[in-house]
Amino acid sequence: MTTTLERPVNATPWAVTASNSRLVGGVASIAPAALTYLVSTVSTWPGLLLLLFVFLPLQVIAAAIAAVIIHGKRRVADAILDVLVYFAVALLTILLGSVVVSLFTNGSHALSLHFIVWDSSYVTPSTSLDYGGVGHAIVGTVVTVGVAMILAVPFALAIAIYLTETRGRMRGPVRFIVQSMSGLPSIVAGLFIYSMLILSGISPQTGLTGAFALALLMLPTVARMSEEVLKLVPSELRNAAVALGAPRRSAFFQVTFPAARTGLVTALLLGLARIMGETAPLIMTTVRTDHTNVNPFTGAMTTLPTFINAFVSDPHDTSQHRAWGAALVLFLMVGILFSIARVLTGSIKLRRK
Amino acid sequence: MTLMENTDAVLPVTHQNVEPQFLGDAFNHLEARDINVWFGARHVLNDVTLAFPENSVTALIGPSGCGKSTFIRTLNRMHELIPNAGLTGEVLFNGKDIYAPGTDPVSVRLGIGMVFQKPNPFPTMTIRGNVLSGLRLSNSRVRDEDALVESCLTRASIWNEVKDRLDAPAGSLSGGQQQRLCIARSLALAPDVLLMDEPCSALDPGSTRRIEETIRELSESMTIVIVTHNMQQAQRISDQTAFFLAEDGQPGYVVEFGPTDSLFSMPNDPRTEDYVNGRFG
Repeated sequence: MTTTLERPVNATPWAVTASNSRLVGGVASIAPAALTYLVSTVSTWPGLLLLLFVFLPLQVIAAAIAAVIIHGKRRVADAILDVLVYFAVALLTILLGSVVVSLFTNGSHALSLHFIVWDSSYVTPSTSLDYGGVGHAIVGTVVTVGVAMILAVPFALAIAIYLTETRGRMRGPVRFIVQSMSGLPSIVAGLFIYSMLILSGISPQTGLTGAFALALLMLPTVARMSEEVLKLVPSELRNAAVALGAPRRSAFFQVTFPAARTGLVTALLLGLARIMGETAPLIMTTVRTDHTNVNPFTGAMTTLPTFINAFVSDPHDTSQHRAWGAALVLFLMVGILFSIARVLTGSIKLRRK
Repeated sequence: MTLMENTDAVLPVTHQNVEPQFLGDAFNHLEARDINVWFGARHVLNDVTLAFPENSVTALIGPSGCGKSTFIRTLNRMHELIPNAGLTGEVLFNGKDIYAPGTDPVSVRLGIGMVFQKPNPFPTMTIRGNVLSGLRLSNSRVRDEDALVESCLTRASIWNEVKDRLDAPAGSLSGGQQQRLCIARSLALAPDVLLMDEPCSALDPGSTRRIEETIRELSESMTIVIVTHNMQQAQRISDQTAFFLAEDGQPGYVVEFGPTDSLFSMPNDPRTEDYVNGRFG
């Protein structure tokens, strides 16, 4: 019998840096910033230029020298790439972060519980922010996006299955069309539904016509992503199922589909994210209202993007605040949706173990 | 119960001393000292001390899940690529600890090559490209690439089969040929040590025999450590053998380590005897 030892704290020797490399690394990470600061005190360049043309080259050189000292020439390219990647990440984080910050600072004026729950009936530009809200637009977004999902996802999955699981002759053309559709300008999707369903008199502008336009945009994204995800399922798994005497239908539903489930959820989410903020197709295919409407088959229906579009073009402060508030609500909705999906797919993975 | 009582010592039973010197005075090229391994909080390998003299072939045997593959991955710092991996102890390569702070794992792996269980030639490269891939990946140069390709493929005993189609994709080879190509690929970097993790487990007897011949030839100029489930293979090719074992839920450890001949013919530990005679595992 052997003894089981408790894992010591320092059981990762590869994470320990040598003291001399710690010194070199420290100098290499502080010196460029310090030098850039010195330059900034004498130059008139704006900060971004300093960052790009003074700090970045200095940091690249410093990292390269440090790599030579610590590891030898072999690791110079690694060090330079590290600097560029981290710099790009930091820059993007700052840029995206500033978008989020401005969303919160501008949107927080209007945001409150009643802003989420109430609709904008009887709200005029002179109405105080204490009254009215975007409840009707939230409902409208949930309904149109939900209906669009119900319309698009079965077709998208069917296309993906056709492309990956069958030997159909039309796979080439279908893939080509789906691919070109994903580059479709969203306003064209709106125009298409407008001329096909509304101008031709088949249907007035309702939530459903908006959902049709959104579905048209969602379909290629979800189909292409699902195809890629299904293609990633190893063919050994399919072979194993077929060798157990499974007909293709059960092989797909019991083996291939579960193996790809997490990826398919991601495909669906990206499709939803693609359409939740779409404005252009909805402007043509829906009519905006200030009242709540949960029925996609009749009447006017407001969504968050069309609400924002309408209020942002009104110069009054209150309208601007309401538009920002609606934008913040939309942002939070997408965030919550993604978090829920992460939790759900996470628990699926756990159950599989 | 007697089995357990006579092995309260955790140290492996070696045939002479704790310092394995049974291969004459060849110096220990690679040496693992008190290696303990954890995955997360789970202790999976307990105090493994093994020495690999220069130009020797060492077989690591033992039932599945006893930590042989885990151990071999600690010898060229592949182990740390697994998240949550933990390790204490030393691995001395030419007398220097490869886990010492400041040691570059990249240069360690250039000196200690590895061949995996499943043949894994790069599918997008040609046969020739695969042999040269180590050079390309490590940005090394060599004066005469054609000569290197030929010598590596020859040493891996595959030259005659592929010399007319060096520009064919590596995926067009059979499994055994792919594995020998992977050996040739490791040889191109001229490693001092070659680690092999069950290199023949996916191969037919013919390919296995070819690879065993290759191993014997290579051992004239390099140190080889090989994990194998095949007792006969261990006996055929290795100079010394280490028998690993893990009891239910306990970390794996070395039960016995010694020259292959005596370990198989007169093992010191009854469990070794049971295992090498196929009574369990």
